[in-house]
Amino acid sequence: MYGGGNSFEHLDLDRSLENEDPQLLAEFEARIARGEKIEPSDWMPALYRKQLIRMIEQHAHSEIIGALPEGTWITRAPGFKRKMALMAKVQDEVGHAQLLYAAAETLGKPREKMIEDLINGKSKYSNIFNYPAYTWADSTVISWLVDAGAIVNQLANSKGSYGPYCRALDRICAEEAFHLKYGHHSVIHLSTGSAKQREMVQAALNRWWTPLMHFFGPPDKMSTHTEILTRWKVKMSTNDENRQQFLDMYVPKIWDLGLTIPDPNLKKNETTEKWEYTEPDWEEFKRVINGDGPCNKERLAVRRRAEERGAWVRKAIMKPVEKPVTPLA
Amino acid sequence: MTAILESLDPRVKRMGITAENLNAFPTPPENDQFATYQVIIEPKEGKGYESAGIVHAPDAEIAFLFGKEQYSRRFTCSGMAVAATADVLASPFTENKISVYDLLEYASLEENNSAGEFYEVFHLYKRGKQHSHWGRVKAVNPEQALYEAKEAYDHSKPVYNIWLIASDNIFFADENIKQIWDTLPLKTHRDVRDYKAQDKINAYKERIKSNL
Repeated sequence: MYGGGNSFEHLDLDRSLENEDPQLLAEFEARIARGEKIEPSDWMPALYRKQLIRMIEQHAHSEIIGALPEGTWITRAPGFKRKMALMAKVQDEVGHAQLLYAAAETLGKPREKMIEDLINGKSKYSNIFNYPAYTWADSTVISWLVDAGAIVNQLANSKGSYGPYCRALDRICAEEAFHLKYGHHSVIHLSTGSAKQREMVQAALNRWWTPLMHFFGPPDKMSTHTEILTRWKVKMSTNDENRQQFLDMYVPKIWDLGLTIPDPNLKKNETTEKWEYTEPDWEEFKRVINGDGPCNKERLAVRRRAEERGAWVRKAIMKPVEKPVTPLA
Repeated sequence: MTAILESLDPRVKRMGITAENLNAFPTPPENDQFATYQVIIEPKEGKGYESAGIVHAPDAEIAFLFGKEQYSRRFTCSGMAVAATADVLASPFTENKISVYDLLEYASLEENNSAGEFYEVFHLYKRGKQHSHWGRVKAVNPEQALYEAKEAYDHSKPVYNIWLIASDNIFFADENIKQIWDTLPLKTHRDVRDYKAQDKINAYKERIKSNL
């Protein structure tokens, strides 16, 4: 029996795979192959732990930063009902960040350290949130299509091998269903409205198409580490598979609204049953991920100011714990 | 004076956010973090309590408040409890249909249990799922509590992990505050059913067709 949660005081995240205990590694891989979940107190290779921390932490940051472009539209949303819905959605996104920080924390990295790494630019978040939401139509396109892309990724990862992450994703996916419906409803409203409304939503779609294509990450041929992470069920589908699934599910819905997708080469190849498209500018993707996007500086500055402004509240109610422990599940 | 960042976000101007906000963020002290609390939910009356996840909080009262926001904001429940992670005693995990009870050594029993305390016992029946509340035992220490649970459990399913929480360390919602969850069904703007719009698309298509 052990109490007080798990503690991971001497995490060696840089231990190479060759230096892992072969018997423990074989048992670990057999457990995953049987379809069983890995729990925080189970033995795991350092690479598995490191990759999961990186992935879950980035996902958590994406939720919390992703709330910023939409959050800024709450006060300007057209009508009380849209304001309430958007407020609920933004609240959900921040709640998702908390669930994900908790899941990452079970692997031994404290939440406050993750926040610090986010603000200092040491850890990344989804590139798409470094683009501005110029109009209300941008906000609706984010709610519908960015959330749609996120659901594609999250549904795949919810079948992964790490128990706490899967449980967090199950809850998140259930909550995302409302976001998707709300976003679709808002886009439908604009698309079937006045000429000016259609013009707004078409312009927003034009602006977000490239970031949406970037959203699933570089083509598989440019990705590394995929084989072992797939075997360990850290990565459940490839970037290209997720992109194809998104196109399959949402291009017909976009066309159904009479909107035009700004890619003249986009079409489904009836023979291969794959979507063909113009590769988005991957140099732009790299530039933005390295901090040179339209809103990178602003997003981190706003996040930092929120952290600073909330510090007195945390200080007022803080009861320092002698030795922080990581959550059990 | 440093220029305020150019932004579409009204907060940037309102809060006077400048490029200085991009300087390195100071590392907080190592223990500058709230403790974690396990949140336990009863999804429906009589369905039994199960672990929902954790919240960070300075004490149980605020943990309850955060737990309500985090775990019953979108899906209603009929009860909630919180316990500090530090107060949860956990057994090792087992697998492959081996019940953790089968690995327990018999504890030496105290003859008189009247001085003991109650423990809430949680079982994990499937790896990857949540711990669920199995019941309550009285014992003089956690080891004996495990033994009492082993004696009382019908062993119909293997148990892969056990949590023990002294009943004094777990805080259940009082019966008389359960109306805090009554308002959730009224918040239809959080529900997918509130966003049906196929009629609108059909009407739009008809309009386009008739204009051709």
